[in-house]
Amino acid sequence: MATPLELIDRARALAGTGGRADLERRLALVRERVGAASVRVLVVGEPKQGKSQLVNALVGAPVCPVADDVATVVPTVIREGAAPRAVLVHSGATGGAGDGRAAPAAEEPVERTPVPIESLSARTTRGADDDDGRHLVRAEVELPRRFLAGGLELVDTAGVGGIGTGHSLQTVDLLPSAHAVLVVSDASQEYTGPEMAFIRQAVALCPTVVFAVTKTDVHPSWRSIVELDRAHLRRQGIEAPLFPVSASLGILAVQHKDTELHAESGLAPLAEHLRREVLGRAEALRQRSTVHDLRSVAEQLTLSLRAELAALEDPAGNDALVEELTQARARVEELRRRSSRWQQMLGDGVTDLMADIDYDLRDRSRVLIREAEEAIDARDPGPTWAEFTEWLDERLATAVTDSYVWAGQRSEYLAEQVVEQFARDGGVVAPELDIGSPAEALGALVDVASMDDGFLPVRERLLIGLRGSYTGVLMTGLVTSLAGLAVINPLSLAVGVVLGRKAYQDDKAARRQRRQTEAKQIVRRHLDEVVFQVGKQLKDQLRMVQRTLRDLITDTVDELSRTLGDALAAAQRSTKAAAAERTARIRAVRAQLEVLDRFAKEVARLEAAPAALR
Amino acid sequence: MTAPPGGVQATTLVDDVRLLLDESLDAYRDDPDALPVLRAQRERLDEPLRIALVGRVKAGKSTLLNALVGERLAPTDAGECTRVVTWYRHGAVPRVALHPVDGLRRVLPVRRVDGALRLDLAGTPPEDVERLVVDWPTAGLAAATLLDTPGISSLDVGTSARAWELLDRDELPVADAVVFLTRQMQPEDLDFLARFQEATGGPGVHTTTITVLSRADELGAGRVDALLAAQQVARRMSGDPAVRARSQAVVPVAGLVGLAGRMLRHREFVALRSLAAAERADLEAMLLSADRFCRDDAPVPVSRELRVTLLERLGIFGIRLAVALIRTGVSDAGELGDQLVRRSGLAELQRLLTVHFLRRSAALRAATAVRLVERLLRERPVADAVPLWARVERLQIGTQELVELELLARSRAVDGPIPPEFRAEAERLLGAEGPDPADRLGLAADAPPEELRAAALTALDRWRARALDPLAGRPTVDACADLARSCEAVVATLDAAGSGAPAAQPAP
Repeated sequence: MATPLELIDRARALAGTGGRADLERRLALVRERVGAASVRVLVVGEPKQGKSQLVNALVGAPVCPVADDVATVVPTVIREGAAPRAVLVHSGATGGAGDGRAAPAAEEPVERTPVPIESLSARTTRGADDDDGRHLVRAEVELPRRFLAGGLELVDTAGVGGIGTGHSLQTVDLLPSAHAVLVVSDASQEYTGPEMAFIRQAVALCPTVVFAVTKTDVHPSWRSIVELDRAHLRRQGIEAPLFPVSASLGILAVQHKDTELHAESGLAPLAEHLRREVLGRAEALRQRSTVHDLRSVAEQLTLSLRAELAALEDPAGNDALVEELTQARARVEELRRRSSRWQQMLGDGVTDLMADIDYDLRDRSRVLIREAEEAIDARDPGPTWAEFTEWLDERLATAVTDSYVWAGQRSEYLAEQVVEQFARDGGVVAPELDIGSPAEALGALVDVASMDDGFLPVRERLLIGLRGSYTGVLMTGLVTSLAGLAVINPLSLAVGVVLGRKAYQDDKAARRQRRQTEAKQIVRRHLDEVVFQVGKQLKDQLRMVQRTLRDLITDTVDELSRTLGDALAAAQRSTKAAAAERTARIRAVRAQLEVLDRFAKEVARLEAAPAALR
Repeated sequence: MTAPPGGVQATTLVDDVRLLLDESLDAYRDDPDALPVLRAQRERLDEPLRIALVGRVKAGKSTLLNALVGERLAPTDAGECTRVVTWYRHGAVPRVALHPVDGLRRVLPVRRVDGALRLDLAGTPPEDVERLVVDWPTAGLAAATLLDTPGISSLDVGTSARAWELLDRDELPVADAVVFLTRQMQPEDLDFLARFQEATGGPGVHTTTITVLSRADELGAGRVDALLAAQQVARRMSGDPAVRARSQAVVPVAGLVGLAGRMLRHREFVALRSLAAAERADLEAMLLSADRFCRDDAPVPVSRELRVTLLERLGIFGIRLAVALIRTGVSDAGELGDQLVRRSGLAELQRLLTVHFLRRSAALRAATAVRLVERLLRERPVADAVPLWARVERLQIGTQELVELELLARSRAVDGPIPPEFRAEAERLLGAEGPDPADRLGLAADAPPEELRAAALTALDRWRARALDPLAGRPTVDACADLARSCEAVVATLDAAGSGAPAAQPAP
C-alpha cells in the first residue's frame, strides 16, 4: 500500500498535468504538514512522584535525572534518532529574564551544546543557571528506540508546585503545545486538591490525557489507591485510562532481561496505550485530513474530465450538461457573493472576542492591583520587595494563562460557528487554530522594577537627626541666653535631642510612605504593561485566526469555482471539435480518468486502513 | 528577678499565672463572653500540654501519632481516613466522646479492631462534629495531649475545610504546640502553617513548631539508606528561609517504621529472623515489590498471612531495614525494636519534642494564658483593670522564661532584634536546644561545673559588651540585655547546684 507521502506526491503530479496550480499549492502545504509530524507527550505531576524515573523506564535508558531531592529543573525532550545523542539548549548569555520562565517557545538566540549522553542527567540536575551565566532552557535526547518511532516525543518536566522551585510555570506553559499529557502521581496517596486542580487545567488545555500511578512496588495498598483515583476522576467527569506502573521494576526487568518482572511492572500496557491510542490517534487524525485533501483534489480533477468526456461521447446531450454546469457555477458564484454573511459573522465574532478579552484582562489586573495594594499597605514594601515581586509574577502568570485558555476555547467555538454557517455543502474541515502560548507573551515582559529596601546607614541617620536638632538647640539657646545662660547649655541640648529624634521619626515615616506610594506605582505600571503586551499578543493571534478562517473559506470557493469553470469550458470546447480529434481526445481523457480512478481507490484504501505506524 | 530557670521557679510561674487568671475571672465576672474563655484557660493550666499534628492529607499524621503514643490508637487506612479533629488524652478508663458543633456531647462505644481503635461517628455527619475526644489509659499520653487533625488539600472539600476551620475559631488557640508534617513542602502547606501559627499566638510562633519530613522511608524508593537521603532533604528544607521563619527544626521521620519498632512482637521478630536467614538472592527477589512479597509461594518458611502482616506493619523499607539489622547481629526483639525506633527518626523527634515543648511546657502554657488576659484587657476594658495590668506586666517583664520565649519568637523575623551574626548563639542561650546550662552554653552534657561556669561568665561579659554598643538600635540593646540576664540566670543555677542545693531540674 502506498504511504500518504507517496500519494501526495502523485496527486501533485496529477494536478500539474491538469494545469491546476492552485491545487498543487494546497498539496504542497499538506505535504509539509505530514512530513514534519511529531506527537508530543508531556509527562507532568507534582514533585517527587517519579516522573523522570517513569520516562527512563519507558525509553530504557537513564537519561533523566532521578534523585531523592527535587532533581528535574528543566524539561528533557526525548525523541527517536539514529544514534544516542544528547544536546543541551542554552539561551543566550545575556538571556533576558533569568528566572526560569524563558520557555522554548520564546524566540531568542539559543546555543546548542552536544554532551555525552552518560553525563546528561548530571548536567541537568545542576540547576538552570550555568556557571558562566548562561541559562539552560531544556535538554534534547535522541535514542534509537522502537517505542519512539513514528514521531513520539516524551517531555519530562519539572514538578508543579513545591517551594524554592519556580519551574511550575514552565510546565503549564508547555501544556497547549502537547498532543497528550501523562499525569503522574505515586501510589502513596490518592489525588489531592491541588493535584486535581492541575489535572483539570491539563484536561482543559490538552485533548488527550493519560494517568499513571507510579511506585506500585513499594506501596502494598496501591490497588485501593488506584480504585480511589479512578473514582475521583469519574466524579470529575474525566474519562481517561489510568495505569498502575512500577518504573523501578521495569528498569530492573530490562537489566536482568526478566520478562516476568516486566509484566509485573505494568509498563507494557502504558507503552502500548501511548503507541496505539495517543500516537495512533494523532496519526489517524492527521491521516483523515490528508485523505480528505487528497480526495477533494481527485474529485476536482475528475469533474472537468468527466464533463468533457460526457460531451465528447454524447454531443446531443451536451446542451443539458452545459446547462447543468452553468447552474452549478452560478450557485458557487452565488456562494461567493453571499460571502458577506459569514464574513460579517466572523468580523462581529472577532470584534466581540477582542472586546471580551480586553475586558477580561483588565478585570483580572484590577483584582490583582487591589490585592497588591492591600499587601503594600499592610507593611513596608522595601525589605520584602523580592518576595513580593515573586508573588506578583506567579499570580500574573496564572492570570495570563487562564486568559489564553479562555481565548483559545472561544476562538475555536467561533470558527465552528462560521464554518457551519458558510458551507453545509462545502465540506470544509475546521482548520487548526493556534492561539499561541502564554509563554510568548510572558517572555516579552520586562521584570518588575526594583526598589530601595529602605536601609539607612548610621551616618545618614545621624545627619537627619542633627538637621532636626539644629533649630531646637539654637532656638532654646537664644531664649535661655536672655536668662544669662550660654547658647549651648544643657536645656537647649535636651530640646535639640528631642527635636532631632522627632525629625528622624518623621523622616522614617515619610520614607516608608514614599516607598509604599512608589511600590503601588510600580505595580500599576507593571500591570499596565502586562495588560498591554498580552492584549496585543492575543489580538494579533486572533487576527491570525480570522485571516486563516477567511482564507480557508475563500480558497475553497475559488477552487470550486475554477473546477466548474474548467468543466464548463471543456464541455463547450468538445462540441466544436472535429470527429477525428474527438476520438483521440476521448481516448486521452479516458486514460487520464483511469489514472485518477486508480488514485482515488488508493486514497480510499488508505482511509480504510488503520493509521499505519511507520 | 533573675532566679534560676528550673523546677522550683516553673511551679511558681504557674502559680502566678493561676493567680492572674483567678483575678481576671473575678474582674470579668459579669462578662458572659469572656468568662468561659478564662475558665477554660484556667482549667488548661493544670492539664498536659496540647500538641497538634497538622499537615497535608495522607502525610501520615495518624501513623505518627500512633508512633508517638506507642500504640495503634488512631485509625489509619490507605485512603483518606481522619475526617474530624480527634483529641487523644490520658484518662483512667478508655472512653470516646463526641462533641457536636451544637448540642450535648455523647459518649460513643469503644471498639477495637485488630488492636486499632475504630472511631465511628454513629451516624453524625462529619461537618456536625466539633471534635472527638478519646481518653486512653496509656503512659504515652501522660505528658501531652495529642490532637489529630484532618488533612489540608483534601479532595473532599469538607475535610479540608474542617482543617482550616480549626484556625478560625474565635476562642483560644486549640494547641500549645504544632508538629507540622510534610512530604514535599508545597506553597499551600506553608500558607496553612502560617495561618495556624497566627491563630495560635503572637508573631513568630516558630518556637512552638517542629516540621517533620514524614513518610521519610518512601523517599529513596525503599532503599535501606533512604533515611540518610531524607536527612539531606530535611537539611536543605531547613535552610530555606520560608521554612526557617516558620519552624524550629526539620526532622525526617518514618512513622510506620517507628511505630513498628515500638510495638514489635516476638512473633514478628521470629518471622523477620527466618527471612534474614533465607537465601540472599531469594529474599532480594521477594523484596522487589510488595506484590512479590505477598505471593502464595515463597522460598521462605513464613506463612503468607504473616508476611502480609509484616508488610502492613513495617512497609517494604521497614522489612529491608529489619533484615539488614538482624544480619548485622541484632539478636532479640527488644534490641531490634530500639534500633528501628532510632533509625526511623522517631527517637530524634521525641527528643526534640521533649526539648522544645515538654520541658518548657509550663512556660508555654503560662505564655498563652498571659497573652489571653492581655488581649482581653485590651479588647474589653473593665473598671478596675490597673492591678491586672500591673500583674500582666510584672509577669511579662519579670519572668525570665517568658522574656526568653518572647525573644526567641521574635528572633527570626525579617527585622528581628538580634543581629544575624549572633543569632545562632543567642537562640541557644535562650534555650532553643534545651533549658539545661550545658545546652544553653553549647557544651557537652557532662562538662564539669567549673568549665560551665567559666563559659557562662564569658558569655555574660560578651552580651554585656554587646548591650553597650553605642551604634546598636534600641531593640537590639534590650535584647542583648535580656540575653545577659539569661547568662546571669545560668550562673545562678550553676551556683545553686554547686553550693549543695538540689540541682534545678526542669519540669517534665
